[in-house]
Amino acid sequence: MSQVLSRFTHGGSVRWSVASPICCSVILAGLILLAGCGPSTNRYLLIEQSLLAGDPALAAAIVEQNVKEYGTKSRVLYGMDRGMTLQLAGDYQQSNSVLEQAEEEVERLYTRIIRSETAAFLTNDNALPYEGDAYEHVMINVVKALNYAVQGQIQEALVEARRIDHRLNLLSDKVREGSGYRNDGFARYLSGMLYEADGDLNNAFIAYRNAFDAYEEMRGWSRTPAPPSLRADLLRTTDALHLTAEFQRYRQAFPDVAWEPVTTQEQLAQVVLISYNGRAPRKEDIYLDLPISLDALQLVLLNRGLSQSRQRWNRGTDTVLYGLSGQVVRVALPRLVPQKTQVPSESMTLTDLSGRPVAVRSEPALNVTALAEKSLADRMPLITAKALARAATKFALAEGATRGAQQAAGKDAAPWVGLLVGLLTKGLAVASEEADKRSWQTLPDEIHVARAWVAPGQYQVSIQPSGHGNEAQLLTLAPGQTTFLIQRVMQ
Amino acid sequence: MIQNTRGGLRIAACAVLLLSGCGHETKVTRVDAGLVTDLSGRWNDSDSRMVAESMVKEALEYPWLGNFPQVNRRQPVVVVGTVLNNSHEHINVQTFITDLERELTNSQKVTFVAGKGERDEIRTERKEQAMHAREETQKAPGKETGADYMMKGSIATILDEADGTKAIFYQVDLQMIDLESNVKVWFGQKKIKKVVEKKRTSF
Repeated sequence: MSQVLSRFTHGGSVRWSVASPICCSVILAGLILLAGCGPSTNRYLLIEQSLLAGDPALAAAIVEQNVKEYGTKSRVLYGMDRGMTLQLAGDYQQSNSVLEQAEEEVERLYTRIIRSETAAFLTNDNALPYEGDAYEHVMINVVKALNYAVQGQIQEALVEARRIDHRLNLLSDKVREGSGYRNDGFARYLSGMLYEADGDLNNAFIAYRNAFDAYEEMRGWSRTPAPPSLRADLLRTTDALHLTAEFQRYRQAFPDVAWEPVTTQEQLAQVVLISYNGRAPRKEDIYLDLPISLDALQLVLLNRGLSQSRQRWNRGTDTVLYGLSGQVVRVALPRLVPQKTQVPSESMTLTDLSGRPVAVRSEPALNVTALAEKSLADRMPLITAKALARAATKFALAEGATRGAQQAAGKDAAPWVGLLVGLLTKGLAVASEEADKRSWQTLPDEIHVARAWVAPGQYQVSIQPSGHGNEAQLLTLAPGQTTFLIQRVMQ
Repeated sequence: MIQNTRGGLRIAACAVLLLSGCGHETKVTRVDAGLVTDLSGRWNDSDSRMVAESMVKEALEYPWLGNFPQVNRRQPVVVVGTVLNNSHEHINVQTFITDLERELTNSQKVTFVAGKGERDEIRTERKEQAMHAREETQKAPGKETGADYMMKGSIATILDEADGTKAIFYQVDLQMIDLESNVKVWFGQKKIKKVVEKKRTSF
């Protein structure tokens, strides 16, 4: 290689074209080195194993140990993963602290850095700082609100409810009606529960109504209808606020829903179970190898056949093959792989000191996989256009470098120099192509909610199927008190 | 040889350009505690201090404070109730309350007594004294000073945001309530408006 370089630098009149291919190669190589920020499969595998083993503290520690692997480009993702695992480990204060930092980072990333954008255009989107999807931003506030609620700090949880409202209002201004994620039924439903826990029935009603409207609006793709308990909430709050017209409308819309008036429930205590079930979808690459000659087409088909027989992509082989061919342009796009929960619902039983049980079933309140799929589908046209433009640019740069090197090398050395530089630059162009597979993978697949109103007193709580976070809890409930419980079910 | 060097320099320049921007430095500067430092647009120490000073000034100018000593021949005793955070931020309300207490106490026109949160600790200490301290140094129970007024309030925000520009409107409301008659003798209000602009692109 040093011989090739010294030969190039001895060229006289072709000095610019000599420096140019070398520079292009250096740029490509450098950018690839800088862009190596893709998510690690092992990291999430270890986290999931820890959660499966019922050791969320270890999961939180794994996230913390991998802080360097997340890197500066994935500070938001690190905060989200760490915040979530710390919540499951019961360290709610620390969880809120890191999630607050993640939220501040999201705000900071509003300003796009042109240097990062250029690097990403020449390599892949992993060179960009991870901003997170809109639904993930809302989930940051949801997880924070739950952290405060579990600690009984309803006033602080309401700060998060207000932030959720602001965030969703901004989103609904930005996203056209009926075209994407612009509202969040679960986030608004949780806000309603928090306002009601604080005794603010007016704001609770507004949040419940917004939640119901959001569930209806998202019904086409969210795979989650409005939970029956939300319908009872609407009837109860409209009745208590003497909103006669609204009450009649909801009564007609939900004739079968059983509900109790506020005057009855004020004397009772409420237990809210939030169950995180399953695992959020992960992302993987789909490679589109675009041949620009018949020979290249045959090569792609042959390589595809071999890859299918191997059941996996081999990026090293692809890099060498396509680099040698010089006639294949690779485009990488992300694809979601769902990891669905096997638990359709939970049963929460509260048993008082006399052994009398009160049992309620949980209802699905949020399908995170559906949100992730919608979010990716909405962004896919832009991701594809960017990937195609990037692939074309990388190919043109590699082609320019190869031809420049051939010219500089002179007639005798041109063929092998062209082959070498082509292999290097086009191979690098193929090797550097990778989809941005980052996402908040420590989220669950679904969130279920169960709510029980019981007379004040002491209760033993049991949940089936049981996950981590609710082991044989004994609760002492006061009149009007709302207690939040969180559990994680990995199945 | 010169051209060789130039080529090398060019490559080195490319590499330096790529690796530039990775470093960072921490710079610490001591500033006066009274200096206004608006960094993020959120509620900060300057807001807390400025609102407290302004509210106290307003409270002291109103006649309720003059009327009380004339009738009772002593300073009014005030206890701080709840200052509710109805905002979009996790504001440390205690800092704001301490600012208010300090300003009002230093005015020497009002006496403050311990609020609900502090009283428990003090009562526990008195119980401990009754058991463990010398008799002549023990503080007897039932000699607390009852408050004449309770100061309550709220901090609320209204947000408006579009295209990277955010307008934050803070409204702080405080009221002094006569504990005997429930009459509101003073109502103070302070508003702050901030505009935070974020650039969409940067180099």
